[in-house]
Amino acid sequence: MNASAASLGHDSHGHHGPVLQYQPGLPLSRGKLIMWLFLSTEIMFFAALLGSYVVLRFGAAVWPKPHHVHLSEPIGAINTFVLICSSVTVVLALEAARANKKSLAKTWMLLTLLLGSLFLGIKAYEYAAKFSHGIYPSAPRGMVYERPDLYYGSAVRARLGEPVIIERMKELFTKPEGELRPEEVTGRQRLKQVRDMVNDPNQQAFDLAVVADQIMPLPAESADGHGHGGGLNDTFSWLKLPVVIPGGNMWASTYFLLTGFHAVHVIVGLIVFAILLLYELGPKRAGMIENAGLYWHFVDLVWIFLFPLLYLF
Amino acid sequence: MSATPSGHNPANVHGPVTSPGALPEDVGSETADHHSDGGHGGLGQYLAVFVALCFLTTMSFFTYSPYWPWRDEPQVGWAFMMAVSCTKALLVVLFFMHVLWEANWKYVLTIPAAMMAIFLAIMLIPDIGLRNRMVSQERALHMARGSDLLLLEQAAAAGENADASHETGSHGH
Repeated sequence: MNASAASLGHDSHGHHGPVLQYQPGLPLSRGKLIMWLFLSTEIMFFAALLGSYVVLRFGAAVWPKPHHVHLSEPIGAINTFVLICSSVTVVLALEAARANKKSLAKTWMLLTLLLGSLFLGIKAYEYAAKFSHGIYPSAPRGMVYERPDLYYGSAVRARLGEPVIIERMKELFTKPEGELRPEEVTGRQRLKQVRDMVNDPNQQAFDLAVVADQIMPLPAESADGHGHGGGLNDTFSWLKLPVVIPGGNMWASTYFLLTGFHAVHVIVGLIVFAILLLYELGPKRAGMIENAGLYWHFVDLVWIFLFPLLYLF
Repeated sequence: MSATPSGHNPANVHGPVTSPGALPEDVGSETADHHSDGGHGGLGQYLAVFVALCFLTTMSFFTYSPYWPWRDEPQVGWAFMMAVSCTKALLVVLFFMHVLWEANWKYVLTIPAAMMAIFLAIMLIPDIGLRNRMVSQERALHMARGSDLLLLEQAAAAGENADASHETGSHGH
């Protein structure tokens, strides 16, 4: 150590060794450089996900329309708006911190945190709507069948043959009409019909399509928002019969993967903002806020592409 | 490799560049002409970008509305929405992520990443995008096809007709 210092530091006349100048390769701080490098890997990460989604979607023989899988476009648009607002607030927090307006910066930061949480809340509501219609990313809970074929018919029959369901059906069929809601009265007739159809040895392909339509009709294009025309699964929430959504399984896999990874990124961003809120947000922290902001804008960016691809295509 | 004094940033002779300070802005001297009033951007500009983003979101949402004139040709809507999304992404990157005011290193990071992203998507086309050109018999038996959708629509139509003819009164909305 001493030897090298002596050989290097002959011009510094000193006891302190050489004063080496650090010359940056790029004209930006280390934190920002690392954040940008990280973001460039993130670009490729999400490009892979989005690219696979697009390729899977356009290579599929059938892909469900957004209303087939109970996606609500207005909710997606609202979520886009929420994220854009949060991008603005984080930029304003950075400006306030640079101008040494600490409490203002904190307010903007808190608002960002709240908007991000609102986004997650809306997302959770949407997930719950999918789950309630039996759309899960994978098999054990997912109830989505690709086509109304014999496999589907036997799955419906199996569900109707479960002891719990038999019990509930017996209860439903013996109840006097006065105790039931009007849609339950017609619903139980339709349920009987469905049970007879799946147990009929002479059933034909069209019968199973009728069964699928009775259990969960695919809403028509004209239906406004949540116009599911009263499927049996909606009328009797305990029924949980298998449903038919052509292309629905691949759709569910891609939807939950894309939005799930995006939501994980949102959660990480919220944790970062929560940590930042513990500090005084003055000019000293401007670098930290800027880096967190860069990450947050990227999360916004991904959603900008996710929203039309998932909700409007 | 002892350092030579750099020509255009005399501010940080000592210490690492990460020491707190307004370094990134100071060093990007090529873009100094954009420094109009201290910080770039400013409230007015951010609000203008925000309004533009909201407007563009409304525009892509417009394709969903019944007033969109190309409802029968979804490709028009897709192209439109992608153009809108790219514009929005550009606005966010340029103004909110301050890329407009950064030095040329921005190209080093973003262009290779963007090219990788595009190649990646293209490379997926033969194996995944065209996966249904030739499928095994077993897979063909189980995969959904356009005919299934048609069958379901017919079933729905038949069900509605039956409802309408049998029980006109009791079908609540």
